[in-house]
Amino acid sequence: MLEWSVAEDGGMGLSQLLEESALKGYQRHVRYPEHKFFGLICSYFPEELIMAFGLEPLRLLPDSANRTPSELPAFSCSLARGILDRELRGEWRDLVGVGFVHTCDTMQCLSGIWECSSNARIVSIVPPVMLKAPGANRYYQEELKSAWRQLCRITQKEPSEEALREAIRLVNRIRHKVRKLDELRSKLPSPLVAAILRAGQVMPKADFERTLEEVLPQLESTGEEPAERAKILLTGAVLENDSLYAMIEELGGRVVVDDTCTGFRHYSGPQIEESANIWEELVKRYEDMPPCPCKSQSLNARINYLLDMAAKRQVEGAIYVIRKYCDPHAWDAIPIVEEFKKSGIRTLVLELEGADVGGQERTRLQALLESILENRTIESLGGEEK
Amino acid sequence: MSVQTQDKVQAQDKAIPKKRNYRPLRSTEKLKKTIKTYYFLTGTHRYWGKPLGRKLAWVTSGAPVELLRVFNIHPAYPEQYAAIYSTNKATAQLCQVAEAVGYSQDLCSYARSNIGGVLRPDLAPMGGMPKPDLLVACNNICGTVLKWYEALARHFNVPLLVLDTPYLTGEITEQALNYVLEQFKGMIKELEKITGRSFSEEELKKQLDLSRATTGLWKEARQYCQAQPSPLNAPDLFIHMAPIVVLRGTKKGRDYYEIFRDEVKERVSLGQGAIENERIRLVWDNIAIWPKLFNFNKMFTERGACFVTDTYSGGWAIDLAPGSPLESLAVTYTEVFLNRSPEFRAQQLIQLIRDYKAHGFVMHSNRSCKPYSLVQEVIRRKVMKETGVPGLMIEADMADPRAYAEETIRNRVQAFLETFD
Amino acid sequence: MAKVYVGVDIGSLTVKVVLINSEREILAHGTARAGYSGREVALNMVESLLTETGLKKEDVGGTVATGYGRVTFPADREVSEITCQAKGIHHLFPTAQTIIDIGGQDSKVIQLMPSGKVMDFAMNDKCAAGTGRFLEVMASALEVSLNEVGQLAAGSRHPTTISSFCTVFAESEVIGQVSAGTPKEDILAGVCEAVARRVSSLAQRISVLPDLVFTGGVARNQGVVKALERCLNQPLLIHSEPSITAALGAALLASQLH
Repeated sequence: MLEWSVAEDGGMGLSQLLEESALKGYQRHVRYPEHKFFGLICSYFPEELIMAFGLEPLRLLPDSANRTPSELPAFSCSLARGILDRELRGEWRDLVGVGFVHTCDTMQCLSGIWECSSNARIVSIVPPVMLKAPGANRYYQEELKSAWRQLCRITQKEPSEEALREAIRLVNRIRHKVRKLDELRSKLPSPLVAAILRAGQVMPKADFERTLEEVLPQLESTGEEPAERAKILLTGAVLENDSLYAMIEELGGRVVVDDTCTGFRHYSGPQIEESANIWEELVKRYEDMPPCPCKSQSLNARINYLLDMAAKRQVEGAIYVIRKYCDPHAWDAIPIVEEFKKSGIRTLVLELEGADVGGQERTRLQALLESILENRTIESLGGEEK
Repeated sequence: MSVQTQDKVQAQDKAIPKKRNYRPLRSTEKLKKTIKTYYFLTGTHRYWGKPLGRKLAWVTSGAPVELLRVFNIHPAYPEQYAAIYSTNKATAQLCQVAEAVGYSQDLCSYARSNIGGVLRPDLAPMGGMPKPDLLVACNNICGTVLKWYEALARHFNVPLLVLDTPYLTGEITEQALNYVLEQFKGMIKELEKITGRSFSEEELKKQLDLSRATTGLWKEARQYCQAQPSPLNAPDLFIHMAPIVVLRGTKKGRDYYEIFRDEVKERVSLGQGAIENERIRLVWDNIAIWPKLFNFNKMFTERGACFVTDTYSGGWAIDLAPGSPLESLAVTYTEVFLNRSPEFRAQQLIQLIRDYKAHGFVMHSNRSCKPYSLVQEVIRRKVMKETGVPGLMIEADMADPRAYAEETIRNRVQAFLETFD
Repeated sequence: MAKVYVGVDIGSLTVKVVLINSEREILAHGTARAGYSGREVALNMVESLLTETGLKKEDVGGTVATGYGRVTFPADREVSEITCQAKGIHHLFPTAQTIIDIGGQDSKVIQLMPSGKVMDFAMNDKCAAGTGRFLEVMASALEVSLNEVGQLAAGSRHPTTISSFCTVFAESEVIGQVSAGTPKEDILAGVCEAVARRVSSLAQRISVLPDLVFTGGVARNQGVVKALERCLNQPLLIHSEPSITAALGAALLASQLH
């Protein structure tokens, strides 16, 4: 467990969240024997559906070893290889099922490989890629209804619409609280926030909500913003541990905007309204949340969202994390980095094998933070840089 | 302005020592002329496009070009050009241009070399591609084309039309079909705006008829390879598939395949095989290894092994789905094999092995194409189990020569072919 | 009044130490193989250099460590080699705007602002191609010493093209060329060109503006220098001791600590 400067009286709540985050669902049978879990791989699979069936969504994450199951070639990302490997080793035998969402080409192939190679019961959703295309909303709704029917078959249950609404209310409350936490980022150590956000993806939702409720007040009252820390925007896909966040913090930075799949993006987007057509409302949230590179709202929607957040939170540096062999992020990085640089935000593209960072990353992160902090000194001395 | 097309490929072919193991096709001359004309027209678009009121579109290979032809749009295919760049040995240099501005080496080599050609047309064969008036992408073949075309849209600042064909985990669903049809409606409006022409269902029907005729002939010609010896080898299929991609839906395309089909039919009636002493019949899976097209195949032909069919060029040997023109288009283009489950594709390969009486199959694990390659291992196992024939996996890239390791591949191929001795 | 400031650069292969005085002039410097413990080697080297210049530990006003092994060294501060390289090169070449650093295990390109601060950088430390290691492997395959590579390559009229982007594949390519009877100079020139191509590709990710300075151990290789100048189409400035420039930067930073 890492040390960071949070008040000693963090209490049961905070340490519970940190434990869950580190365990990533590993001891679920022991800690939550009365709960049944359903595996999810992507934030575009509505957790609300799973919860309506009385199941707990569990985000499937790789462990830190570099796995190479023979079913996938070397040029696939370690996220796909890692979770496939864990599945084949039976680590998720107890899950009621696994939900796949079509996102990138690798995930497209993974769902098929999973089906061929394991006994898991799979629910596949293929949402629209072009979220604002004609017919896209309607289509997404139908896909979700189809997923609902598949879940009915798997669980032999047929929850009422009220159960879905109840699940939506709970998730809305959680997202609301997480948004508050996200706003406190500049005052809190980066790995702490990352860990709490990850805990919410691997533990029972009601427990997460309750614990978050306990913990928020003390986090809100924690000190002020340390002015000497460089404000960093972090964007990328899945980060299954806090290694990178911890290193950024150690080297004098602080993540004030987190646009990663396992970070704030999972909780982002508008609250789900409660109107007569609950399916339409549900889809609206998924359509409107800040897009990942695999989904498109418009040509520059993602770029504009990131620039907007960077301006709002006065970001000084940006780190674009690309997992090796991740094509969508490798494509997006180019125009995004260009825009950041135009806005005067120093940017680092960091290619990682997995989520762990070591000596090579340290050099680059350090150089980035040094150049940000040095530049500040010049400015504060009234010197002209350009 | 000289147009190089397949000339260099043919020149390379003549450079191979006299004792060749394969029989050249007469149709190749006609193919060269046909394709040369197409590239000439495409390359000179800036002179005749405006006066004739015909826009030029860059189109993905899986896009429903028939719809574009209704609006008299002239299509150009970056993937096709990328294959030409590769057979003309320009890919490595073009990729380096793209890599220098930040494109990762792990991204699709068609995309990298195309972008390299956009940034440095002086390094690209034929001076690269003519500037597009619009971009049309369909993601039935992969998600990469979407990101690639978005990059192009930002660069050229021209409209990008996207057809999002949902991946099919099983059979096509009603909601997927409706979604595609809705998108067609939107696309048609856009195309009307861009070209100033009106949509005509009658015209679309005519286009589909032409396409049907063309793909029907291609399918027929390929099916003749079920004969023993096979009248064609994979390189023949890869080379002669060009018009199916770029001239599908045109009279020229149909006329060409009539000639091609006739020659193939004739070979079968005369018992003429593509190679001498065909003793091993193989099926090829994945895109061709363009930079090593002949050298690679030589390892097989010199041991009497012939690729009697393949899954790649077969992608265009499909029947158009029934229904109204738009429905037919929607279903046909959503159901392309790359948009289907590994189960479906395994069955396809099993069928080919049975129909063509193959002794084995070779899978090209193509770094650049994830949808094609990532599922190959599970397909390979399934196919081997069900058919009992051996399958070889080799790692390379469809266009980037830097990813081709001569010795390693030679070793594996040799070992594989020895199992048939 | 401090008489000396120390800069230590602990790389994975070699350790470099530079001592400067309060006028920022180099008093002494040393290079040695890092071996098992770069830290030990560095500590010993600092001691012997101090002795050599007639100075004692108490005369040291500050120490800064950089390089791969910087976190293990007891310095007043540890700073990335990018910042140190920028500092060192700006001191030696005030007009420098681009630094190309090719070391034993990595290559980097750094863009400087006119003030000498780091504007941007691009690094390759994941792949041997484009680093000193690549040259080592090929030199070994051709049975020549690293020092001879540059001279031999300079004698080539027709450099062979080495196309593989993987060092292991490239080695097989080189061996293949040897069997085919290609002259050593041509292969070596091709090897130098391969390194230059790789690094100039890296360089193009940031703006390449004059003056360009080439540093790091590989800057002593005339073959790579010429090939790089050709690839970038710009002249390169090279210090007489290119491997110590990062350590110099570290020492300069040490002198600004208080």
